[in-house]
Amino acid sequence: MGAVLTNPLRVGLRQERVIPPQCLVIFGASGDLTHRKLVPALFELFRQRRLPSEFAVLGCARRPWSDEEFRRKMAEAMASEVAEHRVAWEQFAAGLFYEPVDLEDPPSVVRLGQRLEGIDRLRATRGNRTFYLSVSPNFYGSGCRSLAAAGLLSDPSRSRIVIEKPFGRDYGSAQELNRVVQTCAQENQIFRIDHYLGKETVQNILVMRFANTIFEPIWNRNYISSVQITAAETVGVEERAGYYESSGALRDMVQNHLTQMLALTTMEAPGRFDPESMRNEKAKVLQAARLANEDEPWKCCVRGQYGSGGSSTRPITGYRHEPGVNPESTTETYVAMKLFINNWRWQGVPFYLRTGKRLPKRLSEVVLTFREAPVHLFDAAGGAPTPNQLILRIQPNEGAEFKFEVKAPGSGMRSRPVDMAFSYDDSFGEPSDEGYVRLLADAMLGDPTLYTRSDEVEAAWRLYTPLLELIEDAPSRLPVYPYEARTWGPAASDNLLAADGLAWRRP
Amino acid sequence: MSTQLTLQAPLALPPDQVPGYLERLWDQSLGSSPGAATFTLVVWEGSWLEQQLVRCGRLDGPITGFLNEKVLEAARAAAASCGLPLSTAPMDPKLAWAIGQLGGNHHAEDQRGQFVEGAISAHMPRRLITLAPTLDGSQPLETLVAAYCPLPEEGAGSSACGDVVVLRGSTGALHQNLDLVQPLIAPDLPCWVWWNSSLDEAPEVMAALATGARRLVVDSSLGDPRRCLNLLVERITAGQPINDLNWLRLRSWRESLAMVFDPPSRRDALNHVVQLDIDVEGSNPVKGLLLAAWLADRLGWQLISTYAVDGDGVGDGIGAEFERSDGETVRFRQMPVPVGVPKTHPGAILGLRLICQSSQGSPLCVILCSESGGCMRLESGGMASMELAEEVVPLPNESEEMEVARLLSGGHDSTNPLLAAAAPLAAKLLP
Repeated sequence: MGAVLTNPLRVGLRQERVIPPQCLVIFGASGDLTHRKLVPALFELFRQRRLPSEFAVLGCARRPWSDEEFRRKMAEAMASEVAEHRVAWEQFAAGLFYEPVDLEDPPSVVRLGQRLEGIDRLRATRGNRTFYLSVSPNFYGSGCRSLAAAGLLSDPSRSRIVIEKPFGRDYGSAQELNRVVQTCAQENQIFRIDHYLGKETVQNILVMRFANTIFEPIWNRNYISSVQITAAETVGVEERAGYYESSGALRDMVQNHLTQMLALTTMEAPGRFDPESMRNEKAKVLQAARLANEDEPWKCCVRGQYGSGGSSTRPITGYRHEPGVNPESTTETYVAMKLFINNWRWQGVPFYLRTGKRLPKRLSEVVLTFREAPVHLFDAAGGAPTPNQLILRIQPNEGAEFKFEVKAPGSGMRSRPVDMAFSYDDSFGEPSDEGYVRLLADAMLGDPTLYTRSDEVEAAWRLYTPLLELIEDAPSRLPVYPYEARTWGPAASDNLLAADGLAWRRP
Repeated sequence: MSTQLTLQAPLALPPDQVPGYLERLWDQSLGSSPGAATFTLVVWEGSWLEQQLVRCGRLDGPITGFLNEKVLEAARAAAASCGLPLSTAPMDPKLAWAIGQLGGNHHAEDQRGQFVEGAISAHMPRRLITLAPTLDGSQPLETLVAAYCPLPEEGAGSSACGDVVVLRGSTGALHQNLDLVQPLIAPDLPCWVWWNSSLDEAPEVMAALATGARRLVVDSSLGDPRRCLNLLVERITAGQPINDLNWLRLRSWRESLAMVFDPPSRRDALNHVVQLDIDVEGSNPVKGLLLAAWLADRLGWQLISTYAVDGDGVGDGIGAEFERSDGETVRFRQMPVPVGVPKTHPGAILGLRLICQSSQGSPLCVILCSESGGCMRLESGGMASMELAEEVVPLPNESEEMEVARLLSGGHDSTNPLLAAAAPLAAKLLP
């Protein structure tokens, strides 16, 4: 959201839920995520007085850093924030500690336990611990096992573990990983993070649906003709080629972020807003979701890969020429697909999902297109009346927009579409917290509502299994179409909708 | 969460045997308890209202220290028979004093400190020390100790978590034995001191208990307004972490006012405030002054003058003039308003009106009304030409114990900067 003047009366009011005393243990503390997202999010919570004085962060990685080195490196990485809030940083940094830990080395994990006991005494953190696994996915299972073996997960009320994405790379590996972590900790201790769920606007899908009476009665197959979910990026693969080459857009974006948006858009209303009720409904709707053609999945999915593009003054390198990418790579940087949800609410409504890199705009949105009026009484300025659309803008320009027909001014009775818009900036004017601020706070509060449960993760992987198997076994059936960078993907993607008489919304 | 009983029957011990007993208890039973490294909570549990109501036969015992509905009902009924105005809040110390003038010599079991509110015990204080002063000025010191634990969740264990210590006796006896309390407070753990009574009483006991970095919890609605605000200022100035329940109860008013100015299109109006009116219940002005002071601080107003305003028989109001950063004047007026059914604490806010007048555009009038009271007085007169933003402020329905539990669950070793800025200004606003 855009920068706006702060509401002076709003300062200090974000203290609705109090995080209990505890130590947040970050594994992979020497990695990017720690200094780019996690520690800044914690510092933000500290400045909002949402962290208690009895709080500590213990960074863990293999590097032999000292507490002081860890503090210095974090301060360097956050230089502008530190300079702006020098006193607060000094107070916050007093609670930063570092312990060299190799999760594969049991004695090292035992030492970690001793260090944590020391921190409990020093900072009165009451034995409450949140372990954040910001490590290679290869170490999720062994990491959990090491922590459990050292007794660090034995008290479900005082310890929990946060696991970054990707959680598995297909249905089988996700099942196996779930099995391993569930032998180490109870499900209510396991927090599988999807940072999209930390976004204010993603959570707003729930509030719009379930806090208003006007939407829910029409939120079904009787009124909605199709749904599009888009997550478009303008950036390329950047420095993530190593990971992205083995992942691709389907695993990197669709299985988690887009699927979560799909679940929130389509789930039934939970009986109450508690973690299990919420996650039950999400899991149920994902279990009812199917590719539009499971027998011939190549007919309901399009893959693409960006080629070179841009202008003569600002040329853009194609994916295969990006550093670290195989020059003959068949990894998709774009994917579009059609799904159905086989339940009473959504039977027969097509859901179109797309995501890609190097597209013309950075945006995420959910577009619900309503059925046409049964009789056209009026001439329409555009030839035919435009179907009503509700657009939930996830980012940027966060908000919602409703398109409907009105009488065009003049002597005739012609209709034309107009927009009615709600904007977070106009209504609230405050930048939302970064997703990690909300999600870290929730994990430390022990609130898993915005984290994905094992059955949700498995249902999401199972949904895309026919595609993943096809890519693995017969990639030629699901070719990777090239598209020019800064265009809206390959033409085949447009054809996917054209076959249904539809077109992607051009945002 | 329900109120939790101690795990074992409280054991009465001679005062000098208490430290030794507790040491043995920790050595033998509690050494590995999850409460071992949490915090100490010291409570000054006056409960004068409850004690007086029991003494004059208007309330059955036992005396627990909890402000439940029965106590409030009995207090409201007593206010009328004591000849106090209907606006007298049940927790107004004047009411307890007035009931004290009624006859009666009933007795009930005194269980103060032996109950642990579930929300508090869930945080497993290592030690909960209750000082329970009695009406009988000659009562010698009694000391009770017990282990306690929250009632176990289904399937969980039932081991003890911490201990409770009750010191009961006359205020004088408690004062003389404060030396007993100090060694019971673990020096290496946070210590909270909850002064759950009027701030006017036993200053020497408070001075002894709330020393140094101990986190003091008070309620500035209880006691003489001048003394309450001065105490806040003194403690804040001295660097003591202080938490004021009266300030915390302002949360929904602050939130509602902030909400009005969330849309950026309204922000500029905050630079053009010309008038602030606050209506409060009864004669205690502290809560209203804290709200006004918070607003003045956030908007950068300088206090120019303050004066008493004739309250038309209800009690004096308070008027003041502030200067905005652009040199323009803001007029402030806080008036006491009589009510039929007062809220629990003295000086609850009934309504707020803020008028913003810029040279361009029509003036904006913001009115916030208490959900239980309405604010017809603030809605009257001359607003037809103004843009009106009117909100109803929801009232929190939480007990003192829940508020304290919230503090204990994630406490700070410093005073909230907003309170630290508002309290001195509120003190200056008192004429």
